[in-house]
Amino acid sequence: MMKPGDLTKQNGEWLSATGPKHEIVISSRVRLARNLASFPFVSKASQPQRSELHRLCRDRLLALPGNLNLFYVDLDHTEDVDRQILVERHLISKQHTSGEGSRGVAISADEALSVMVNEEDHLRMQVLRSGMRLRECWKTADMLDNMLQEHLDYAFSERFGYLTACPTNVGTGLRVSVMMHLPALKLTGEIEKVFRAAKDTHLAIRGLFGEGTEAIGDFYQISNQTTLGRTEEEILNEFSDSIIPRILTAELTARSILEQERPLALDDRIGRAIGVLRNARLLSTEETLYFLSHLRLGVVMGRVTGLDIDTINKLFLQTQPAHLQRVLGRTLDGEARKAARADFMRQQLQARPP
Amino acid sequence: MKKCDRCNKPATVHLTEIDNGIPTELHLCDQCAGETGYIQQAHIPLNEVLNQLLQAQSRSAKADGLRCEECGMTWQEFKDTGLLGCMKDYDIFAAQLQGVIESAQQGATRHTGKCKESPTDPNAAVKLRQAELNRLRKDLARAVQRESYEEAAKLRDQIKVLESSPGTD
Repeated sequence: MMKPGDLTKQNGEWLSATGPKHEIVISSRVRLARNLASFPFVSKASQPQRSELHRLCRDRLLALPGNLNLFYVDLDHTEDVDRQILVERHLISKQHTSGEGSRGVAISADEALSVMVNEEDHLRMQVLRSGMRLRECWKTADMLDNMLQEHLDYAFSERFGYLTACPTNVGTGLRVSVMMHLPALKLTGEIEKVFRAAKDTHLAIRGLFGEGTEAIGDFYQISNQTTLGRTEEEILNEFSDSIIPRILTAELTARSILEQERPLALDDRIGRAIGVLRNARLLSTEETLYFLSHLRLGVVMGRVTGLDIDTINKLFLQTQPAHLQRVLGRTLDGEARKAARADFMRQQLQARPP
Repeated sequence: MKKCDRCNKPATVHLTEIDNGIPTELHLCDQCAGETGYIQQAHIPLNEVLNQLLQAQSRSAKADGLRCEECGMTWQEFKDTGLLGCMKDYDIFAAQLQGVIESAQQGATRHTGKCKESPTDPNAAVKLRQAELNRLRKDLARAVQRESYEEAAKLRDQIKVLESSPGTD
């Protein structure tokens, strides 16, 4: 059986740079929230009820067809750094790692599928894939949901649909999120316009690794805010046919404007990023995100050679605090961690000179 | 806890700005981060949106005292946490929740998506088809009553198609 630490040896499916439009659309994600009718929601469940719920859901998940290739992590009995690795790989939420009591997560070997048990809702299923593949993600999530509901009695009402602990998830329980890399829109200052448009269409926008990283790295996660009153199909169509293509086109336009009108400024940004990443002796997580973003832009636009997107994607993950510590095999704090990150980065980039 | 660089309130937004390779650390409270443009309105987490809605609701002592016998949840507790305690709460607090759900869900009040009895379940498919047949038959009866024979003929054809598909009656 796989353990969280083993995951650091591979690049999760969503970072594999294989999906359609992966140069700009990092990943597509579909999440379903479900609860069992015969138990209180998690916040009001007693410890024995939580354990019973956990056992029931875990057994059900592990009884799913073998081709799903699921392994299970009991988070109550998992080291801090390993839980953190799961967060950095987007397999569990921050809330789930800092939570208390009986809880866990089922993960498929390729990391495309994960099901949190006893987070805010009894079940939170996620399908996460590289590139623009929302419909494919939905198909998998829908199938998994159907398989589970054959054996589990979901909390459901005709009026409100799938009942969730928080009313912002009620109805379909469906949250679709698309992670986009938008450095050119940021450089041209057009990103504000995108945000304003997003606000009009009621989307939520967040950074790559959650709070505090919003303004850095040029990664934006775009999600639907409402889950009630529209079918899953309608939510998916709006994202796949309208919202994402519009932002994608805006980013491509900004890139060609930069290329044609400000090639020096563009190459300056990319060159500075390479300069820092190849020479710095201390690197913070935020700085790393910031400069890797510009390096990624350079690679995607063909202005940097000798490096591929797959490698850059891997660096985003491996320089995150828990990954860095697992990969290097020791606990690191403060300046020692910044130094280790800088060493690691120099090594990685020198092995493949740009 | 770090204090906000601008107003000394507890900082909730921590940023490292890099200008020409020189990082500067910034610590701001929500309000100052909003004012300085470091966080967009669109960045507000969903639960905060909900909390704002809940706080904006007029205080009603009667509702605050309402309590679910099943899980012990009170309306006041829901207003504090934004989380319900069990599926029964949707009935117990139906009157109070209606406004909250409507505002959080942009006016939507009714689920129109996938149902618990999914059409991929063979039994559900039969039930769905049966419901559809019943609806068509009623429509047909009404059409005949109104003497709209063209519409009736269309409905009759639709019923024939459905009846001839496997799994009905």
